[in-house]
Amino acid sequence: MNLKHKFLSRFIITLLIVSLMVGSVAFADTLPYVTYNYDYWEDYVMTPAAYVPHSTISGQSLGLDGELGSIYDIYVDPDSKRIFLCDNTNNQIVVVNGYDFSLVTVIKEFYNTETGNTDTFNNPQGVYLSPKNELYVCDTDNGRFVKFKTLENGEYEYISHFDGSMIISDILADDYTFKPVKICVDSADRIYIINLNEFQGILQLEQNGVFNGYFGTITVSISLWQKFWKTISTKAQRAKSTMFIPTEYTGIDIDDNGFLFASYIDNNGQQAVMRINSKGGDVIRKGANQNVGGDIAGTQYSMNIYCGTSRIKDVVYCGSGMYSLLDTLRGRIFTYDREGNLLYIYGGQGSQDGTFQSASSIETLDNYRLVCDVKRNAVNVFSPTEYGTLINEAVACRYDGDESLAVDKWNQVLRLNENFEQAYIGIGKAYLNDGHYKKAMDYLELGMSKSYYSIAYKRYRNNVLKQNFNVIFGVVLVAIVGFIGFKIYKKRKNKSEY
Amino acid sequence: MKDLLSKEKWKYVFYCISHPADGFYEVRHRGRGSVAIAWAIVLMFAISYTVNRLCASFLVSEVNPLDVNTLLEIQGVLILFLLLCISNWSVTCLLNGEGRLFDIMTVVGYSFMPCVLIYIPATIISHFVAQNEEAFYLILMSLAMAFSLILMLIGIMTVHNYTLGKTLLTVLLTFFAMLVIIFVIMMIYSLVGQVITFFKSIYLELYFR
Repeated sequence: MNLKHKFLSRFIITLLIVSLMVGSVAFADTLPYVTYNYDYWEDYVMTPAAYVPHSTISGQSLGLDGELGSIYDIYVDPDSKRIFLCDNTNNQIVVVNGYDFSLVTVIKEFYNTETGNTDTFNNPQGVYLSPKNELYVCDTDNGRFVKFKTLENGEYEYISHFDGSMIISDILADDYTFKPVKICVDSADRIYIINLNEFQGILQLEQNGVFNGYFGTITVSISLWQKFWKTISTKAQRAKSTMFIPTEYTGIDIDDNGFLFASYIDNNGQQAVMRINSKGGDVIRKGANQNVGGDIAGTQYSMNIYCGTSRIKDVVYCGSGMYSLLDTLRGRIFTYDREGNLLYIYGGQGSQDGTFQSASSIETLDNYRLVCDVKRNAVNVFSPTEYGTLINEAVACRYDGDESLAVDKWNQVLRLNENFEQAYIGIGKAYLNDGHYKKAMDYLELGMSKSYYSIAYKRYRNNVLKQNFNVIFGVVLVAIVGFIGFKIYKKRKNKSEY
Repeated sequence: MKDLLSKEKWKYVFYCISHPADGFYEVRHRGRGSVAIAWAIVLMFAISYTVNRLCASFLVSEVNPLDVNTLLEIQGVLILFLLLCISNWSVTCLLNGEGRLFDIMTVVGYSFMPCVLIYIPATIISHFVAQNEEAFYLILMSLAMAFSLILMLIGIMTVHNYTLGKTLLTVLLTFFAMLVIIFVIMMIYSLVGQVITFFKSIYLELYFR
């Protein structure tokens, strides 16, 4: 090797090392996903990150012998801070301590007091801890859910199981297939179940097995065009065409007031979540864009990676009226406030920490957000940034009715992201309450809130008219008198001419 | 061009929009109209239309001001006007229309006057309405447009000495002719582009040999 070659190879190696270093530095302070939001015109606007990857809970970090399998569902008990993971591959429930993410226990086999022998799960897909500290596990392929009691020492003891034959109902057929996938229990101990391949709604059961009926039904909208084709097609054609049936529910959660949040896949991308009241009616509120379905579908940027219908897989209530939707298609998490305004988006598709290959379920643990991934066999933990914390606090202030404190928070949010329309609207509303109508108008126009701007403008206009009533009235009076005088003058002049 | 400074000709525009049948008849037969003024009015319309799109209050506007390109909008209006006149002329030539191209331009141009007069005041008014009062603005805007369209119809009917039915038929055919013209222009554009690339590649081939 001559000198020239030696020099060249050394140069190349140095270059490689330097480029590697630069690369790693660049990675350390960039996120593996884009964070953005939609503005009034449904354009995407880049924002600071509200949540960043914090850590991962995996089989290794828990010290489990076998790896942790596909996690289909996750539940966090807000009181004991315990995390329940529904491990579908190994047919077990993994209980994790929420303070330090260490393993508490694994429920794999249990003694069934009814049959008198050891029992196991078969393809469990849902887990929930009721307000009475009873653990419910959807044992899907066994066609039942199993109830456990939380013991004093933190272990879980079998109480009973509930299968399809135990449902007391006149409506359901005898050969009804009961395959619960997601379960939820409210403070009155009523059980809400999403059954596999059931599109009529959520099953509502009493503790004694009485079927109260379907709860919340997804409506299907048929376009005029589809209706037209249906009317002109023959019976044979109609039999072969796809049926217009609603999609199934994908996830449920209960909020502080006992309303049920239920997510589903909406092919129009308009509404992918319902807030169901005790009568079974949908009372969700839609915000500025009239959209609570994740990414906005079919805008002018529909070729763009930011758009297109999301596949909402799960919903979680985050407190203060906020809720998050989990999109399994692009691995994104959308958080809305009580009025249905999109607050922030984070998460993405990929294999790095903080991204997902097939996200399945989301939960909150205080300020953290826990998202599990079926393919990565791990739980991603996200922690809020300053930006995310400020938005959460501002929304909480507004939810509690403390508008003046909210203004302070919103101003700090605007310092970090001056394109955030909700912040302008928040400040504008506070000024509107305080009677500073001109200021409120300025802020509400920046926030593009037509309705609140109109309220502020009407009050402002009334004030101006009231204050200047004398001047305006005087001018009008003078104008009328002048006009009449002019007419009379002209008439007399004309008369004198003839 | 000196028509633009003629006070009498400008006054005649207002006579036309208040007495369309008589006014447009004299445009055709007594030469009282002016093509230059018609183009000036269309330019004014283009400007007021763009101003409306840019400056109308966000309460009433459906357009994102950031999407509005002033020059492109003005260009678009002018080109559409020219296209409309030419296609109407080419249709009416075949259907015993009496109007000449300049008559059509004058008549169609004059018809935009109500829009020119109303669009900018309506834009100003839009800043003084609240959300459920936007009807004032919308009525003004749609009245202006309707008035202009009616004037245009009467104008075309008068200069060609048509009945109403025949006018409507020619208007339909005019839209069809517009499509044909656009199609032909685009075809020529792409064909010329292909010819140019053909000769360019021959040249490059010879050059690199």
